[in-house]
Amino acid sequence: MHRSAELRPAGASVRPGPGIPYPLQRAYVRLMMWLVGRLLQASSAVDPVIMRELAQLPPGFAFAMRVRAGGPGFAMREQDGRMRLMPLEQAGRLQLSFDFKHLTHAFLVLGFVEGTAVSFARDRMSVDGNLGAGMKIVRCLNRMEAVVLPKFIARRALKAYPPIGLGEKLAAAIRIYARMLLQLVGGK
Amino acid sequence: MSQEFFEFFCPVKIAAGYKALEHIPFELEVRGASRPLLLSDAGVVGAGLVDTVTGAMSSGGASAGPLFDQVPPDSSMASVRAAVALYRERDCDSIIAIGGGSVMDTAKAVNILATEGGEDLQRFAGANNLTRPLKPFIAIPTTAGTGSEVTAVSIIKDEDSGTKMPFMSQFLLPDVAVIDPRTTLKLPALITAATALDALTHASEAFTCLAKNPLSDAYASAAITRIARSLIPVLDEPADADGRLELALAAAMAGVAFNNSMVGLVHALGHSVGAIAGVHHGMCMGIFLPHVLRYNLDARREEIGEMLLYLAGPETYASTPHSGRATAAIACIEALRDQAYQRCGLPRTLAETGKVQREDLPRIAAMSLDDGSMIFNPAEVGYDDALAVLEQAWA
Repeated sequence: MHRSAELRPAGASVRPGPGIPYPLQRAYVRLMMWLVGRLLQASSAVDPVIMRELAQLPPGFAFAMRVRAGGPGFAMREQDGRMRLMPLEQAGRLQLSFDFKHLTHAFLVLGFVEGTAVSFARDRMSVDGNLGAGMKIVRCLNRMEAVVLPKFIARRALKAYPPIGLGEKLAAAIRIYARMLLQLVGGK
Repeated sequence: MSQEFFEFFCPVKIAAGYKALEHIPFELEVRGASRPLLLSDAGVVGAGLVDTVTGAMSSGGASAGPLFDQVPPDSSMASVRAAVALYRERDCDSIIAIGGGSVMDTAKAVNILATEGGEDLQRFAGANNLTRPLKPFIAIPTTAGTGSEVTAVSIIKDEDSGTKMPFMSQFLLPDVAVIDPRTTLKLPALITAATALDALTHASEAFTCLAKNPLSDAYASAAITRIARSLIPVLDEPADADGRLELALAAAMAGVAFNNSMVGLVHALGHSVGAIAGVHHGMCMGIFLPHVLRYNLDARREEIGEMLLYLAGPETYASTPHSGRATAAIACIEALRDQAYQRCGLPRTLAETGKVQREDLPRIAAMSLDDGSMIFNPAEVGYDDALAVLEQAWA
């Protein structure tokens, strides 16, 4: 039921990081940070699995995922049982932060070349703060990726693809994308 | 080339072997220290180990300094504050910790306040919140298991909030770890076995989890070899100083390994069982290790198979078919645990601990999912998976 999170993942011969100019990597990472933040915000309002995890976080819990030294990222804070995006520079005191040590490391994760756990194990990011809450956020991100990404991409990002049927996956993905669009249009 | 990357860091000087304790005066002197605060606990003092250390120091012309011997079994904020007060009152300039994991954790926290000043330890909690070297710190382990003498972590219980505060920084690492067989000679058989299995688990998880790297592998494999070779002979002959030294070295090597490549599901479950049922950490490790290796087989068959070489030696390894090496390695660990049970009653199952209730297993499984070690486990673990491993370990 589980599969290896390989130290050398399938496709390791493809070297997207070093081969792609930094401006393009930066643009891609900025776009993906924007997308992941909004998808997680939407998921926190409509996906029951993610809502269950977030319900256990301390009130007002805030975290950020970013590239260090002022690189792209996003910050979120729990409010009324949901995660709300907020500008990184106005995030204030964070209870948890995922900091990629370099732009290319974020590119590898957000480009689905390697999973979050493998990236952490390879010391490409530092995780500071409430680690127990960090595990909940990681499970939320895993659930979101499993639902909103095509299976062949999600398998590259996760240690193991969860046992969810196509019907459940499609229904959950539609709810999340619809909610994100609603939030973009209506600002809710 | 591949995109693999790792970091490895261990600046701790290890002084090990015959008359290692007699080197303490020299180690203090080269660090410009002369007034160390000794930290220990009542059990270690009662076993005469602090006297052994102070005797070795005075034979080398060093004065031992004041002793704080009130470290509780669970490192606490109150004991840290009391020890810091003594450090300041007696104008100390260095710290010598003599004990197990709790004493080491306390000493690391005392060193933070002794260096940084003030009373607010909490502002240094978390990862990388120290930015400069601390006071000279010598660690003398009196158990052969935790590896705390070479790790950069301290856990302190805050009695006010009821939470455990973690501190992680390279500056917490001791300057010197003194490993002398005299400090573990009197260790009771049950604690010898439990702490050795703790060290074996550190090494095994470092060798099989996601953050493994070539350097931590070298330390982990050397640790596994020594524990497999020495544990049972030491249980049979407790006064075997060479065997004791082997186990203490193995614990330090396993500590170096897991300090750099972390641990996984065994520790996540063990931390939760410890928190909920108060079972000795090393006993938990011995119970869970074979079951977790079996759970991780699909993800790490090669690595677990390679462990057979270190557990059973080259002849057994060579004569075992490749496809059977991983299960043979797990069987070796179970045999080691069973031999320890026969000699000292080391629990083999959760039921045998007499402290865990079966109805606690769901709560233990849920708590273990939030343990930071879980992210390094090679196979994904959900609630049902964790509960299944706990059920296997029950009886």
